[in-house]
Amino acid sequence: MKRRIPLIIIITMGFMFVAHSFIPHKVSADFFDWFQDWVKAVSPFAVSLGIMSLFMVHGTKIKRKVPNWQYSVITLSGLIFTALAGFIWGTHVGTPYMWLFENVQMPMSATMFALLAFYIASAAYKAFRARSAEATVLLIAAVIVMLGQVPLGAMISKWIPEASTWILNVPNLAAKRAIMIGVGLGITATSLKILLGIERTYLGGGD
Amino acid sequence: MKLNYAKAGIVLFLMVFGFLLAPIPSHAAVDTSSYIVENLRANDIPDDDGSGLVLSWKPLPKEKRIIEYRIYRGVTSDSLFYHGKVDVNVKTGVAGDVMYYYDSGYNRFVDIQSPRKLKKEKQQPDDSPLFGRLPRDITVTGPQLTNYRILGVIPEKDFLYKNTKIEITEDDETKVYAGLKLRHFHYLLKKLRAEKEYYYTVIAVTESRKYMPYAEPVIGIPIDNSPEKIRELYSVYVEDKTRLQFEWIRSLFTDDQTNHSVYLVKKTDLNKFNAYVEEQQKAEMDPELETSLENPAQLIYQRYCGYPYTPDNTVAVNIIDGKIINEDRDIDVEVGNIEDYVAVFSLQDRAGYETFSDPSTFEITNSSNLPKISDEWIVEDRKNDKGDYNAIYWEKPTVFLTNCTYLNDDKTKILVNYDIYKNVKYDKIKNVYFIVSDEDGKEITSINEFYQDNKLKITLEKPSNKISFEMRVVANGDTGEDQIYTQDLIFNEDVKSLQPGLLYLNGEEVNKYTYSIYKNNYSNEEWRLSKNTLGAQREIVDNISFSSTTFKGVSKFDAKKGLFLVTPTFTVRLDDELENPIVTNLYAEEVAKSIENYKKEIAEYTASKDTLETEADITNADAAIEYYQEQIELVKNNPILKKAATIKSKKSRLKFLEKVKTIAGRSFKYKMVKTDGKAHFALSEVYYTEEVGKLPFNKSARETYTTLGKDHFYPIPNWFQADKLPALFATFIFGFMVFFMIRQAKSGKELYIRPIAGIDEIDNAIGRATEMGKPILFVPGLSGISDVATLAGLSILGRVAKKAAEYDTKILVPVRDYIVLPIAQEVVKEAHYEAGRPDSHDKNSVFFITTAQFAFVAGVNGIMIREKTATNFYMGMFFAESLIMTETGSTTGAIQIAGTDAVTQIPFFITTCDYTLIGEELYAASAYLAREPLQLGTLKAVDYYKFIILAFVIIGTIFSTVHATFLINAFPTK
Repeated sequence: MKRRIPLIIIITMGFMFVAHSFIPHKVSADFFDWFQDWVKAVSPFAVSLGIMSLFMVHGTKIKRKVPNWQYSVITLSGLIFTALAGFIWGTHVGTPYMWLFENVQMPMSATMFALLAFYIASAAYKAFRARSAEATVLLIAAVIVMLGQVPLGAMISKWIPEASTWILNVPNLAAKRAIMIGVGLGITATSLKILLGIERTYLGGGD
Repeated sequence: MKLNYAKAGIVLFLMVFGFLLAPIPSHAAVDTSSYIVENLRANDIPDDDGSGLVLSWKPLPKEKRIIEYRIYRGVTSDSLFYHGKVDVNVKTGVAGDVMYYYDSGYNRFVDIQSPRKLKKEKQQPDDSPLFGRLPRDITVTGPQLTNYRILGVIPEKDFLYKNTKIEITEDDETKVYAGLKLRHFHYLLKKLRAEKEYYYTVIAVTESRKYMPYAEPVIGIPIDNSPEKIRELYSVYVEDKTRLQFEWIRSLFTDDQTNHSVYLVKKTDLNKFNAYVEEQQKAEMDPELETSLENPAQLIYQRYCGYPYTPDNTVAVNIIDGKIINEDRDIDVEVGNIEDYVAVFSLQDRAGYETFSDPSTFEITNSSNLPKISDEWIVEDRKNDKGDYNAIYWEKPTVFLTNCTYLNDDKTKILVNYDIYKNVKYDKIKNVYFIVSDEDGKEITSINEFYQDNKLKITLEKPSNKISFEMRVVANGDTGEDQIYTQDLIFNEDVKSLQPGLLYLNGEEVNKYTYSIYKNNYSNEEWRLSKNTLGAQREIVDNISFSSTTFKGVSKFDAKKGLFLVTPTFTVRLDDELENPIVTNLYAEEVAKSIENYKKEIAEYTASKDTLETEADITNADAAIEYYQEQIELVKNNPILKKAATIKSKKSRLKFLEKVKTIAGRSFKYKMVKTDGKAHFALSEVYYTEEVGKLPFNKSARETYTTLGKDHFYPIPNWFQADKLPALFATFIFGFMVFFMIRQAKSGKELYIRPIAGIDEIDNAIGRATEMGKPILFVPGLSGISDVATLAGLSILGRVAKKAAEYDTKILVPVRDYIVLPIAQEVVKEAHYEAGRPDSHDKNSVFFITTAQFAFVAGVNGIMIREKTATNFYMGMFFAESLIMTETGSTTGAIQIAGTDAVTQIPFFITTCDYTLIGEELYAASAYLAREPLQLGTLKAVDYYKFIILAFVIIGTIFSTVHATFLINAFPTK
């Protein structure tokens, strides 16, 4: 029963939403809006699951004094302080909560994002090593595209920007579209498997 | 760095200390008196209905770090309630010397989101008159009802079915009201009352949210002014039709306007007219002033115009046999030589004020100089929608040039962009023909755009300053060969490029005129603007919302029952003559009582006639008697009210009335005006057809609407979106193929599945982690459960977790989405049970990190480095963080397998991971791993379906190459 009831709900709702995409009628649109309202109402409760998970994982680490348990203290302190700041002083501009957001969260996120530039350089080095014929083609294409994006490319030859555009618009776009078609079919097949109850792994266990 | 207890304590202390102290510098002791707002004033807003005041004050300097100004209002200086705020950018401050805040029109009074109780404003002294927002508490808000004009915005169903009948007796007269709880209102809105005193103050709030002292409250009194003067009136006399045409620029403030009037003034009377206008203006300033002058202007046209719609701004008045006659408005004017007259337009408001435009001299012209409206225009329900649009379309498709760019330095290769305005009737464009000529008229090239990609590449012999285009569209239906559009590309010095010039159709400039579509329903006599379009456009869709809201004035309340009271009457529609509203009552018994009341009024007026002395009073009494007799007639004999009276059940009666009201409010008739904006316009007739389509009502609801479907059009909701038929057909084919292949697989037929290295290596990767005694990391993507990629990721997680459980290897699953978390936990738990190793399941192995994208990455990277994971799986949807994770995994020496359908992230995964499942392979992985007939059958069906798509792509390419576009056109364009 633990699996069957969710499965019945999924299959029923799934077919209803498939029907919704072909039925523009107000009845169908209202049903969809009603459902969206419920999603909005229910999903915040799932936040508590996340918070509980955090407390359980890090609480266990602190309790058992596992290696590096101090990080867990910092994690939970950050969670509690930020939440308290929001509850006590509100989340307006100028409150401690916003101060934390602007002066702690944002710079740290920006720092992580900034690391991406170095990782891209590292990944580019790996990708553009001409170890095989395919990698050489990739290297040449990449050089042309990169030169085509900067004024230097046009200064070297007027054909470089055009070649760059052609590479992006023809072989690159064709490959992307091929992947997208495959993805579309994959999504349809997976959805169909879920709708028909063929794919049930995501449901977990318990009969 | 390894943290010990002492170091962690220091870090924690620094965090707390920094957190507490950081805002303190801005909290340092300051002289708060210098933060009091100065020069606060409340002035009347001109040209309005007496509901607007504008506050002004001197903003504090930027150094004060002000983040917002809060405005408080009340009817006494000792109780001021929070009204609104003006946000300020703390870094830039306020640029000007004065700040303004407009308190005008309807704004929020109270609603279900208002605070429960009234609270003193924070950080103010005990004797402060400042309070927070008005609360839901009816004992506080109820007494405020009389201080404002309150408008209740009520969902129609709540008004009809959730009311409580309340009877109130005042001065021996019992009145019935409908009582509604606050939760039955969308909201209550308020507007200032004219001539009433209101007190205002403003406080500044600093960056650290310190509420500064309030300024001395000031008084503002809104004044009901005469309407705004229109900026321009255009007057045209069409000599051959003996017709006067007027068009004007609409005023901005239209809230309380009631009448549009047009007057003729003899040029010889202009001085008298100006004196009259001047006297009226003085009288407005000084109500005590007695006026003596008569208006010498002759009224030739008048119509009702009402809030809240955009009214028609054109009028055509016919002169027949030298006279203008309108019996409804009591107009009978003899017109002499039109050159002896000027025209004046006026706006009247509810207070009786009238504002005249400047006199406008007639331009005399002939109808041949006016635009023509084609008879070929159609109104119908828009297909394939939920029933909220009517479509209005006319004439044949338009093609026009939109842009031009040079493709080479010699300026001999150009890229020309074009566009097409089509409509419902001509929706499939077959060909667009272009003939391109140079400055000398020599043909450069001719192009047939059989597939319209909206661009043309043209090679010129030499650079040119002018290129001419002749264009013709061939679509489905008869587009004929006579629709030749011409347009030039002309060199523009400013942009140093060729730019499209004016568009002509058979020699007439297309965009000289615009189309205005007006509409009108059964509930309102006034035409309102639906849309304005360019002259080149060929269709509009008119949105008819499902709004079912009732607007009611609220002036009374019942504190004991917690009810706001509104009148229980409501208008169903106008009668067939569009003169009298058909009004009824929520309570059927009150309808019968209203007849008695009308009779009583008639008796009183009849009796009073004997005592009346002046003829005007007697005429007024007669008019009142006639009005009440008409009302009795209406209540007794109107078919709608008669039918409603026969319905016994209260709910059924209201349902019937609601249905009739909905039809009235959502059925529109349409007319079209083609104009140059200066009174050179052509008016269409109201659109009419004898072919009544299917209507979505039962007979009883629509029997009182005899013209429904003929001139009034109700948008019909559709049960099937026909343009999605190919998608439905394709889905059925796919479904059939899946079933077929599953049957094949079940019957034992060997299905060949192309090997995918990434999937084959999953077992080896898990084995590697087992051998090394290190955990496996599995990231199921960053998106939510509604993303199919996440579901595919979770399916793979189930297989991987089962293998890991069999090998007794620890698996770590960090999750970003808290809805995905319990599902992932359940999947891993079940995998351990299936593997027969429930003992090895650690409930904390699947855990939530954070929803913040880069904080999540930091967490995952930390796990990789600390736990030294031997195998990393990334299966699902990823964004910019993918490379940061996989590069870190690469440096820790883990074997990495990724799978995603995010096209932009695939290159990063290929570069940094050992194996990558590209796009669809992610969805196939679960089936590969399961090796069950059901799963394999689906996979095989996908492969065959791809073959069909490929076949269509190839065939479509071949057909298109030979100008056969039927295959492309068979598919929907969106």
